[in-house]
Formats: sequence, structure tokens, C-alpha cells
Amino acid sequence: MSRLASQADGEPEAIFRVDGLTKVYGEGESAVHALRGVDLVARQGAMIVLLGPSGSGKSTLLNILGGLDHASAGHVWFHGNDVTAFGDDALTEYRRRSVGFVFQFYNLVASLTARENVSLITEISDNPMDPAEALALVGLEARLDHFPAQLSGGEQQRVAIARAIAKRPEVLLCDEPTGALDSQTGTRVLAALDTVNREFGTTTFIITHNAVIADMADEVLLFGDGRITGQRHNQVRAAPLGLSW
Amino acid sequence: MSFLRSTLTVKLMRDFWRLRSQAVAIALVIAAGVGTMVMAVGLIGSMSATRDTYYDQYRFADMFAPLVRAPETLMAKIRMLPGVAAADSRITTRATLDLPLVMEPVTARVHSLPAASPSALNRLVLRAGRYPNPRHPEEVVANEAFVRAAGLPLGARMKAVLYGKQVDLRLVGAVLSPEYVYALAPGQIFPDNRRSAVLWMDREPLAAALNLNQAFNDVVIRLSPGEGGKEVERRLDILLAPYGGAGAYPRAQQISDRFVTNEIDQLTTMATLMPPIFLLVAAFLLNIVLSRLVDTEREVIGLLKAFGFPVRAIMLHYIVLAILLSLGGLALGIALGAWLGRGMAGIYQNFFTFPFLRFRIDATAYLVALAATLVPVMLGAATAVWRAARLAPADAMRPEAPADYSGVAVTRLAAALGPDEPSRIIIRGLLRRPIRSVLAILGLAAATMLYVASMSPNGSMDRMIDLGFSRADRSDLAVAFAEPRDAHAFHELERIPGILNVQPFRTVGARIRSRHHEVRDGLVGVEQRGDLSRVVDIEGRTSEAPPVGVMLSGRTARILDVGVGDLVEALVTEGERPALRMRVTAILDSPFGGAATLDRAILNQAMREGDVLSGAYLQVDKAALPQVYARLKASPMIAGVTAREATLRTIGETIEENFSIQTYFYTGLAMLVVVGVIYNSARISLSERARDLASLRVLGFRRGEVAFILLGEQAVLVLVSLPFGIWAGIELWRFLIGQFNTELFTIPFFVDPRVPAQGVLVVAIAAAATAFLVRRRVDRLDLVRALKTRE
Repeated sequence: MSRLASQADGEPEAIFRVDGLTKVYGEGESAVHALRGVDLVARQGAMIVLLGPSGSGKSTLLNILGGLDHASAGHVWFHGNDVTAFGDDALTEYRRRSVGFVFQFYNLVASLTARENVSLITEISDNPMDPAEALALVGLEARLDHFPAQLSGGEQQRVAIARAIAKRPEVLLCDEPTGALDSQTGTRVLAALDTVNREFGTTTFIITHNAVIADMADEVLLFGDGRITGQRHNQVRAAPLGLSW
Repeated sequence: MSFLRSTLTVKLMRDFWRLRSQAVAIALVIAAGVGTMVMAVGLIGSMSATRDTYYDQYRFADMFAPLVRAPETLMAKIRMLPGVAAADSRITTRATLDLPLVMEPVTARVHSLPAASPSALNRLVLRAGRYPNPRHPEEVVANEAFVRAAGLPLGARMKAVLYGKQVDLRLVGAVLSPEYVYALAPGQIFPDNRRSAVLWMDREPLAAALNLNQAFNDVVIRLSPGEGGKEVERRLDILLAPYGGAGAYPRAQQISDRFVTNEIDQLTTMATLMPPIFLLVAAFLLNIVLSRLVDTEREVIGLLKAFGFPVRAIMLHYIVLAILLSLGGLALGIALGAWLGRGMAGIYQNFFTFPFLRFRIDATAYLVALAATLVPVMLGAATAVWRAARLAPADAMRPEAPADYSGVAVTRLAAALGPDEPSRIIIRGLLRRPIRSVLAILGLAAATMLYVASMSPNGSMDRMIDLGFSRADRSDLAVAFAEPRDAHAFHELERIPGILNVQPFRTVGARIRSRHHEVRDGLVGVEQRGDLSRVVDIEGRTSEAPPVGVMLSGRTARILDVGVGDLVEALVTEGERPALRMRVTAILDSPFGGAATLDRAILNQAMREGDVLSGAYLQVDKAALPQVYARLKASPMIAGVTAREATLRTIGETIEENFSIQTYFYTGLAMLVVVGVIYNSARISLSERARDLASLRVLGFRRGEVAFILLGEQAVLVLVSLPFGIWAGIELWRFLIGQFNTELFTIPFFVDPRVPAQGVLVVAIAAAATAFLVRRRVDRLDLVRALKTRE
């Protein structure tokens, strides 16, 4: 079992525990094994980077952790609750309360301003931040009333991060958050994620193809063919603004 | 190239298959348009052809000239008149019949039989039995509708009072006549076939009864081809004036023909008014579906162009798709139209007694349907096809820039109106595509309009009947005398046991003129402060005949182009035939009112007659009704009796039989439009928003919250459309009411408040059902794909 950033004495700080997670798409000869038995334990507040080629199972794992997809076998325990046993409604509530998502293509609502895109989520949350505060956290205090069409890609992604963290989720799941951005813009987005992780202790998973990004993580999981093929613990996390690719 | 072309064809078929559910929604709307059109065009063609053939085969007269009495020798002169192709004299009178199965006295019009020659005019169609034998003077034939309604077997004997004489008649045949396609008795608005009859008997006994041996009191005329008739009418009036001519009138003023023609005119209105509504809605739906398709296929279009496909082929691709999307509607519409047409023809054949009425759709109707379908196809496809044609390959292969919502007005309005972000998404979505939103609102409003306009006639008719039979006419019976009578007749009626109250009236045949305008309708002399029959206007206010001068109906005043204070001339066509000059002192629209109403005393005075009446309204003790009927049936002075209650019953039955079906019909049509608009509009919106909505689901929005954004948009469209729809429906009904009104009745403009409420309900139900269908798709949004795809 991969023990990610867990203390040696195994104190109950694990936010996720994953046991023998398997995901198969399709049946018979055309079956695709996206995950072939993944085990891991994620410590609360960790910054975890999932690294690996396309089709290695990173996104499938993230989707199941985030309650977007069902596992074929195995379990995901979130604070001791079996997420894999949740029905659709429970999964929705789980996403609503505990999980923040950041997408590769931002997925902002074009008809809402930056502030409104964030309010969209804070309106349905129990203990949200002020939308302006969330946007200030990602350095967009001057762009509150701009529409997505008036923002650059990096700015849009930072709005998406503000939207994801404004409800104070315990987990932030980011699927290729810099995939559509250039190096300079990308590092600013990563810096925003780093800030959130440090200031709020939000457990953060980042999927990437980009090995450089792994330097900013506490833990790095290497994926290949539906399995975790390796893992690495960084004693010192690199500052995102110092990264380049 | 042919391979590529066929690959494009494969794409075409797959696109079509993918859009099938939207195609169904569009097809339903097109089918409604094509269906109503095919039905109306088919019925217009069938009715016109039937009418023309019937009139022609049975030599229906072009002109009619009633008179008091003229010697048969005069016919030679009439036949000599230029423009007259054929002329027949006949004897026409009224009678009351006493039938065992009908409690009320039956009012009958009696004509002498047309000659047995094929050149005779107004020939009859023998449907059962035989014609009277000249050696049996008591034998008669009657109109088939009456024979059926009164349940008379052939050979039945009837007691009749014919011109004041008691006679026994025997029914030997049932016939149809082109003169009575719509057999309306005087004072009726719908045929009451149980209580009113048309009889034909041999001329000799009729002449004997009316003292018209070697004489006649009615002429029917066929005009030479191409003859307009005005001049014939003028000469005929001069020729017949010494013989008590009541004024010749053309077929266009003959009551039965007027109703048939009026019905065809109404169908024409329907054929021109209804289908365009559906077809324009269909055009809008095709437009949004194709526009969305072109949007999603930008890259494909760019690719095809980059590969060297000619613009023409791409345009053709989408045009053919548009045609495919509408073909189902065309086919369904033709089938629907044929089915409805056949059903309507059945109703018409009951309502109008044609010997035959075959509903057939001729080539014209098919061509019209085809053209009518091509209109929405072209209108709907035009902008989408044009956009596809204009896309530069390089542009097309780049994804479309994100929609810009930064317009100041849109931003502020939405921020002001929307209480929360989902509402702002809805409002900005609607405001960003103002044309599409407005068209969707218009489409939905059309549905409400259709419902309100087509369901309002019932309320207006009810109101007309209420005004006519509860407020204006409060009598139990109305009797008409065979000839005007003096006050003795009044007292005679008063003395009949069971008659509680008598209110006399005087009617005089006249032509009312002002300059070159003329109305042929009688003068009605009424009692001041009469209680049984009152003057009631279209708003339900009671009024009185003016103490001086004459009160015209609004319709008459409009035709004569006169106002209060103007003089009109009434050329009386009976008695001394005086020409009366009268001042218009009031103009009043009443539901069943005559053209010109005045105080009976004034009319008597103008006619230089004493206290003369033409009939009376009676209030009868219900318990004594059978005895009263028996007395009236036997009374030689009475030529017609109408029972208010029986008339009301007939009207109720006629409306029930003929109009209840339309309720379902128009409810169905309105629902089709709503389903078509909501379904397509929501599907397009879903397609545009799928990624947004899925993202929101990923971010923790519940299904209902996401559905609210999509369906809330449709709900706003529906809500905004409702007031417009109700308003337009009311205005459309106001316009249509003008088409329905005749000189016999004026339908009051009235919209039962329940009708708009029901319209809202119908639209809401259709919208909710459609929303439910679309909602299921929202529930099945693919969340994982939202993470990975870019718009």
C-alpha cells in the first residue's frame, strides 16, 4: 500500500484511504482496464501530484475520488465513509460539501462575471468565503466584474480556482489545470493552488503530464497502465513561481 | 467525388437520425399547418364543387321574385325579359302542421311542385318514396331532414292549416332541394328540422286552396350565362309591382345559399389565417435546430471546405436536411388533413343537406401543401445555410470564441432582475439571443392565441343566446299570422285559456334605402314597454323603440352609410306599397334584432292602417301548454309558431353536435405548438449549455438546481408569452367575429374569462410535459466529459 505523507504511527489524519480500486470500461474482449487495483492513503492537507502518460488511469482515479464515476471494485474511504457505496444523491452532496474541482478548460459560465461565477457556488454552500475574498486570494481583485470572454486563459483558470475554494472544500481536485496554458501563466495558476493548500490546508490533487510540476508537491504518484508504478516524497516543496517548462 | 458525395449522404442520414426527436416535434407543428390547410382547401374545393354541381344539375334559380298574385299569362312577358334564360312560376305559402309526435305546431313552407320536365327550375332530389300523384290532391313530399327529425313514416297523415283552411295531407316522399341546403325557418338561427318543414304539393290543389287558379305568387328565374342580374331585377320589379311584387332578389341573398357561401368564406379565412401561424412556428424551429447544427459542425464544415468540397454541396447538404426534417410533417399533415376533412365533410353533410358531399383532395390541395411546407423549410434553413456557406475554412476550424456577455444593458438588466446567479444565467441567456427569444415567445403566444380565439366563439354564442332568449325574448311562444290582422286577432289570442299575456308586433316587408345603398329587410313595429319581447343591445342593456323615427341596427346603418339624424326611405313591398321617409333616431346593435325597428303605432300610422299586427309574443301557463298548442294548431289565422324553449334546445343540440369536437381539435393544435417550441428550444439550449450544466453538477449542483437553469429559461419564455397570447387571441376573435355575423344575428364580442384561464392551463400542461421529457436528459448529463472537453 502506498502510504502518502502518512505519519509512521498511522495517526488518523488520512483523508482518503483507497483499497484495491479497479475500474473496467466495457465488457469481454473490448473491456478497458482503466484502474487495475490501486491502493493509497492520502494525508489531510497534502499537495499530491499524479504524473503519468495519457490513459494511465490518473483521471479515472480522480473522477472516482471526486464522486463523478463509480468503481468496478475496491473502496474509497473518505473520513471513514465509503464513497464507492454512495448513491447519486449522496455523491452530489459529497461534491457539494467536500470537493472542489478545477478543470483543464476552466468551465466557467460565460454569462456570469468572475464574481458571479464564484457566487454561483457560494450561494449553495454552508460556510463560504466572500467571493471577492476568494478572487483576491488568486490575485484577481481587480477583475471582479469581468466576464470570462474578457479574461485571459490564466485569469479564467484562477477564477475557476477561486470558485473551487470559495466553499472551503476539504479536497481540491485539479485535472491538468495548466494543460491549456503557457509556462508563465501556468506558474501563476500553480501559485494560486499552492497558496490555497498552504493557507487552508486543503488536500490538493493535481493531475499533470508535466514532470516539472511534481517539484511543488509533497507527494508524487507515478501512474502507468492503471497502476501506481512509483511514488516520491519531496522533503522540500519547490515554489511554483520558480518553476518553468 | 461520387464516393465523397455518398459519404456526405451517409452523414446526412446520420444527422437526421440524431435529430429525430426534434424532427418529430417540428413535424407535428408542420403537420398542424399542412393539416388545417389541406382540410380547409379540400373542403373549400369539395363544398364549392358539390354546391356548383348540385345547383347546376337541379337547375337552382339565380333570382327569386315573390309577389301577391299575378295571372299565368304574365310569365310570357317575364320569359321575354333580356337576360332571362328560363323562368318558372310557382305558388308558395306557409302552413302549420299538427303532428302526433311533435308537441309544438310545426311551421311549414309550402311550394307547388316544379314541373316534371328536366328543364324545370329548383328541381327536387327524390330520396325516398315517390312524387305526389296529381289525382290525389292530399299527397305531399317533404324535405328529408324534416321527415327524419319528425320521425314520419312514408304514408303518414298530417293535419294542416293551409291558408286558413284545415286540410289533411299525406306524406308520400322525402326530397332534397337546392333551395334548402340550409333549411332555416324565419326567426331561427339554426335549422330546427323537427319543428319546421318544407313541403311540395301538386300545384292544382294548392292553387285551389289559395285561390290562385291560373295564377301564381312566386317566380324563380335562371339568368343567361354572363348575365349579372341587376337589370333583370330592375325590370322584374317594374313588371311585378302592379301584382304586389315584394322585390326580386338574387341568389346571393337567398338564405340557404348565403349560409353555404358564408361557410365557404369562413373556411377560406381559416385556410389563410391558421396554417401560416403553424408554418411560421415550424420555420422558427427549423431555424434554431439547423443553426445549432451548423454551430456544432463548424469544424466539419471547415474541413469539408478545406478538402475542396464546393460551397454548393455544403449548402445543399443542409437544405436537404431541412427538407428531410419537414417531409414527415408534410406527409403527416396531408394524412391529418384528409382525415379531418372527411370528418368535417360528414359534419357539413349533416348541417347542409347536399345529396352528395364527397371530400376529395385535388391536385391543387397537394401543391398548396407542398408549397406551404417549402416555405418554412426555406425560411428556416436560409440563415443557417448562409452561415455554413460563408464560413471560411480557417475560421471554421478554429473553435468559436466564447460568447461575450459583457454588453452593458444585458449585464445591468440581468443583475437587477436576477435574485441569484442561476436566475442571472437564465436572464442573460435569453437576452443574449434576443431574436430567438422573441421568436420563441411569439411561437408560444401563437399557441395561446389559437386557443383563446378558437374557444371564444362558444362563450360569445352563449352570450348571444342569453341576450336573445333570456333578456330580449322572454316569451314562451311567438306566433306569426298568415296575413296581417286587426285588433280582433289580438283579443282572440288573449281569450285562449292558458295564454297569460299577449304582446303584438307588426312586420312589413320593405327595402330600406339611402342614396344608392339598399337593405332588403322588413320594418319591425314593436310595443313600447313590452315585457315579453324587449329591445336589448349587444351589451345587454334594454332599450325601447324611439318615440319618433326609426332605430336601425348597426349593420344596417353601416350598409346604408347613415347616422342618427339622417333620413332613410323605406319602400314597402306590401299593402298600399307606400314609400316612407323616416328619420334615423337611434342606432343599436342587438343580437337578433331586425334591420329597422320602430314603434308599432307609428308603423301602423305610416301604413295608413288601424291597429294591425302580424303576430304576437305569448306568455303561456306551462300547465295549459298542450291545450294552447291544440288551439294554435287549429287556428286558421296562424301560419307559424315558435316555442322559445324548443328553439333554445335546438340551438344547444346543434352547438353540442357541431362545435364540441372543435374544442379537442384546437386544444390539440395549441398543445402541438407548445410542445414543438418548448421541446426544440430546450433541446437547443441543452445542447448549448450541456458543458455548463455538467460542470455545475460536478461542482455539486443537484439535478433539480441544474434543471432549473435550463427549464427556468423555458418557463420565462412561456410566462412572457402568455399575456401576449391572450391579448392576440382576444383581438383575433374580435376580427373573426366580423366574419361570423350575418343579417340574421350579431354575435356579441365576449370572451369568457375561463377561456384565457383554460388556455394558460393548456399551455402550462403542454410545457410541463415537454419539460419533463427534457429534464430526463438533464439528469443523464455526462459529468466526466464536461471535465475534458472544450466547447
